[in-house]
Amino acid sequence: MEFLIVSTLNGVIYGMLLFMVSAGLTLIFGMMGVLNFAHASFYMLGAYFAYTLSGLFNFWVGLIVAPLLVAIIGMFIERYMLRRVHAHGHAHELLLTFGLVFIFEELIKLFYGDFPVNYQRPDYLNFAIFNLFGTDYPFYRVFIGLVALLMFIVLFVLLTRTRVGMVVRAAERLPDTARALGHNVPMVFLGVFGAGAALAGLSGAVAGAFFPTNPNMALELGVIVFVVVVVGGLGSLAGSLIASLLIGVFSSFAVGLDWSLASLFGLIGLGDWANSLGGLVTMPLSSISATVPFLLMLIVLLVRPAGLMGSKN
Amino acid sequence: MRYALIAILALLALLIIAPPLLGTGWQYALINALIAALFAAAFNLLVGQGGMLSFGHAAYFGVGAFTVIHLMQSVEYGDIPFPTVLLPLAGAAVSLLCGALAGFFATMRSGVYFALVTLALAELLHSLAPHWDEMFGGEAGLSSMRMPSLGFTFGSTLEVYYLTLSWVVICIGLLYAYTRTPFGRLTLALRDNEQRIRFMGFNAHGTKIVVFAISAMFSGVAGSLMAISNETANYSVFSTQVSALVVLHTFVGGSTIFFGPIVGACVLSLFTFVVSGVTHSWMLYQGIIFVLVMLFAPKGIGGVIQAHIEQRHALPWKRLAAPYALATLAGLMVACATVFVVQSLEIVLSREYAAAVARTGEYAPYTVFAREWQVFHPFTWLFPVLLLVPGLYLLRRAFARIKALWDKDDDDDNGDVPAATQQLMEGGR
Repeated sequence: MEFLIVSTLNGVIYGMLLFMVSAGLTLIFGMMGVLNFAHASFYMLGAYFAYTLSGLFNFWVGLIVAPLLVAIIGMFIERYMLRRVHAHGHAHELLLTFGLVFIFEELIKLFYGDFPVNYQRPDYLNFAIFNLFGTDYPFYRVFIGLVALLMFIVLFVLLTRTRVGMVVRAAERLPDTARALGHNVPMVFLGVFGAGAALAGLSGAVAGAFFPTNPNMALELGVIVFVVVVVGGLGSLAGSLIASLLIGVFSSFAVGLDWSLASLFGLIGLGDWANSLGGLVTMPLSSISATVPFLLMLIVLLVRPAGLMGSKN
Repeated sequence: MRYALIAILALLALLIIAPPLLGTGWQYALINALIAALFAAAFNLLVGQGGMLSFGHAAYFGVGAFTVIHLMQSVEYGDIPFPTVLLPLAGAAVSLLCGALAGFFATMRSGVYFALVTLALAELLHSLAPHWDEMFGGEAGLSSMRMPSLGFTFGSTLEVYYLTLSWVVICIGLLYAYTRTPFGRLTLALRDNEQRIRFMGFNAHGTKIVVFAISAMFSGVAGSLMAISNETANYSVFSTQVSALVVLHTFVGGSTIFFGPIVGACVLSLFTFVVSGVTHSWMLYQGIIFVLVMLFAPKGIGGVIQAHIEQRHALPWKRLAAPYALATLAGLMVACATVFVVQSLEIVLSREYAAAVARTGEYAPYTVFAREWQVFHPFTWLFPVLLLVPGLYLLRRAFARIKALWDKDDDDDNGDVPAATQQLMEGGR
């Protein structure tokens, strides 16, 4: 029971964090058709900027200014790089962002060194919010979840209830018509790219103070974020929320379970035979937990490429 | 065409004659460059000719490597007799099978979705391999020894070099021959218009699988050669880095030309060999080169060279010489400024330097470009600015002039300037 509740809680909060990063990615893809490989780099940049700013000023300044800096970088990339190669097709845009991943990672290594930096939350946020089965549950985890929830609500209201959201959705669905109606579509694209980058930066700034902040964080999270947006359906915000929670909960459960294919065979009385096979069959779930999201992504791509909630292929 | 043949033969002769005169370090670097070249050429069969962008080609490279390591172990323990020189055949066979299987699924999708399937497949292997001890030897990986065969001991790097060279030359020759066959033309048609292929009665999915499998097979040969050369392989051969590197090599070289990726792979891997000995930031330079190529010469180095060869009779070379020289000079200035800043930062921001400052209490001068620099002296930071600003200005001027000359030639020549060149020229604006 303890395992069940703690894992669910951790999983949901990790899922919310994944959603914060993937929301921008899926929004950008839905709109511009660009699968931005460098999106997780924005997450890393957010964490490092917030680290520097929290050292110079305080934690909250970092939390607010870091996403803005990341947004500026994002908009610069959209305006001066992506738009330039747009004429050569989506593959070129993809490759360009792919190259940027290396540059960002190496720049971070150059400025901060190839090791984790000590980015910490302030002491007054470091308390236990409640006590679960004798263990204190850190408030900061809940804080991460709350920030993500707040962001989701703001994004949802912005997109569905305001005029800005209407223009953004129009520019996504029918860019030419939106342009003909007098909206500055390239400006909208620029804004969405910046907003997506800022969201990733914000999640980096929030999560970096809890999880390790190191030059590998972009690569580690980046692939999982891809899994999330694919499983949820490229371009679908609601889909990526569901997929984030799914993968978050799954990964927090998988580390604690020692089920294997052999134990599955055991249920139908073939356990001994399966155990004798060894290899993949007896491998416990906890050790292949990193593999399962990719398997899920593969199955979704092959069976239902539109994802859980997507409508386009 | 005749000049191309002469150039290739001359290069080949150089590759045969030169290595014994070089040190082991360079021989080893050449082996890696050759392997990277073959890998890039195999990858380009899929990407450049088949039009399918894969982000997980490390999978087939790795499968080839592990197959060969397993076989080498069997030979080492005397279970199976197998000549060392033919080991890549085994890697090729297994990679071909894996490629056919993976290709069957991957080619059901196209575009971004195809790229994601290949990425997922490679990540699947990469995350599984460190936990699967019997197959991939866990995190430590597997290792073995090269056994003597056909009178060669394969004890020296030089012998391994010649083995690698022969396999790479044969495979690249086969890949080139492939482009001349009807099936090779069909591959190109697949890239240009898949629907038309179907209307013409070809099986598009089947063709894609075959292209994917052949590409995987030659990648497997490259992986095999890597395993033979290193005598070891671990799960990191499946990593995103390996898949990424081949993408970098291919597109810097230019994916639309057969020899582009080969040039790109050789240039970049030798660049890495030279630069990584001097600085930790070699990956940064490689990333910058890649992004610059993507922005200003989307068809890569190969595309630029090809455009010049095609236009060689029409171009006003005499009038172009001055702006080209100016562009080279300005480019060098910008590059110098960038390298200076990066190297300075690398030293000044390093842990060792911080420790030295804490110990002695003063900011010691450091050495870049064989000259000592003071960290807080204004000239130290004025120097790159003085190079960068005029450099960028001159670069713009030079490219504007080059573009004007190319465009003028454009009018005489029915507007038939290759797209790559125009895009290259746009870099100046």
